[in-house]
Amino acid sequence: MQDRIIEIDNICHTFADGYRGLNNISLDIKKGEFIILAGRNGSGKTTLLRHLNGLLQPCSGSILVDGKKLATNLVFARKTIGMVFQDADTQIVGDTVFDETAFGLENLKFPRSQITMKVSLILEKLDLLHLKDRHPSSLSGGEKRRLAIAGVLVMDPQVIVFDEPFSNLDYPGICQVLSTISGLNQSGHTIIIAAHDVEIAVSLATRMIIMEKGRIVADGHPEDIVPVLESYGVKEPCCSKFGLGLRPWAS
Amino acid sequence: MNPFAYIHGSSLLHGLDPRCKFFILCLVSITMLSAGPVPSAIFAGILIFFFKNTGLALLPFLRALRYFMIILFLVFAARALAVPGDIIFSFHGISATKQGIAQGIMVAFRFFLIMVTGAIFTATTKPGSVKAAVQWFLKPIPFIPEKRLGVMISLALGFMPVIFRQAGEISDAGKARCGDLEKNPIKKINRIAMPLLRKTFMSADNLVLAMQARCYDEDRTDPEFNPCGAEIYFIAGAVATALCFTMF
Repeated sequence: MQDRIIEIDNICHTFADGYRGLNNISLDIKKGEFIILAGRNGSGKTTLLRHLNGLLQPCSGSILVDGKKLATNLVFARKTIGMVFQDADTQIVGDTVFDETAFGLENLKFPRSQITMKVSLILEKLDLLHLKDRHPSSLSGGEKRRLAIAGVLVMDPQVIVFDEPFSNLDYPGICQVLSTISGLNQSGHTIIIAAHDVEIAVSLATRMIIMEKGRIVADGHPEDIVPVLESYGVKEPCCSKFGLGLRPWAS
Repeated sequence: MNPFAYIHGSSLLHGLDPRCKFFILCLVSITMLSAGPVPSAIFAGILIFFFKNTGLALLPFLRALRYFMIILFLVFAARALAVPGDIIFSFHGISATKQGIAQGIMVAFRFFLIMVTGAIFTATTKPGSVKAAVQWFLKPIPFIPEKRLGVMISLALGFMPVIFRQAGEISDAGKARCGDLEKNPIKKINRIAMPLLRKTFMSADNLVLAMQARCYDEDRTDPEFNPCGAEIYFIAGAVATALCFTMF
């Protein structure tokens, strides 16, 4: 029971237009897991992720974060579960890389001296310290995505949720972000990645969940799930198709 | 080039306390409205100096201001045609007067100087610092939610480059499908305005979600000011300028 960081019990979500985004989702996520949440566009991945951060509230059912009810402990949940959005540009609030990273800590009313120290540490960790005075819009795609990660990581979350983290990135950008995510998982963070193309991160994942029409239709070890991926509208990784197992995407 | 966007730099104005810059901007802009031609011309010279000093490029800046020039021209035309005096020419009962043209040039010139002052201010002050300065000035006033107003100003300033970029993208997408063959300016504006509004609202929605996801709260850590020591000289200079504007 103690190693569960997120417990989702039978949640449903219906949008204002009557569309059922989530149907009876029940899920336990353990500390340190690396989960790929796969499914075709509109399958409910983003809707589910937004429930984990309290950005959407379920119509029924409940979510516990580290044993506490999410609905009544929003700030705790948002500190525990950091969310990196699909479009890094829309996540950026600050005028400089430093200010952008400090945004969360300022919201949590950290003293200025502590903010400066923590932000500098995180920027150094993600190799962004030399860019601290640059405007976020002037960064490359990979740097922007790492900045979005820094903005979340500085709040010291246990779980980091990524919504399509590799979309619109070039090869070096994907490698940078992939290496950052892998490092975070190795340092003990629980990682959840929503993706419609699983190829890039599949070799790192310890668990794969497939969603279809707002339901979980498969949940297990990636080796077991990968062969059935295409029946749910998700491309099977090439290495698996050619019988090579699940190999790292980047050298 | 966006004429009202922050440009990173290390000039004297960049290092100046944002509260000082904000005070000077307000003081000069208000008193400028009654300035005569000589003080205005001297002030224009001062602005050119700071323009160069901050590293802004004059020609791209003027090019970026071309749409504002239309407004200035309208201001000039309204004055030229509305002020009574010695008629220079008359057309269908509408007359332009010598006094009107002189006043029109002066008013348009003053507005132009205010615009350039504003542009130098935004180019050398981060939106976050503008927010901090506004917050600081509003703090003593009761019943005004200074933190909320500060965030609103900072987001509005931060959003301006995004809106300009999105407008450019929409315009390019139209041109790629021969949209520039349309000569009717109203139709052209309509084709850009609707998608731009939709995109802006969507971006604003996403920004709100991103802020909520990082525990956004109005009661945040207060901003920090780091005065460089030259503020007192700038304030003294601004007060002297304001006195010249009102006296001469």
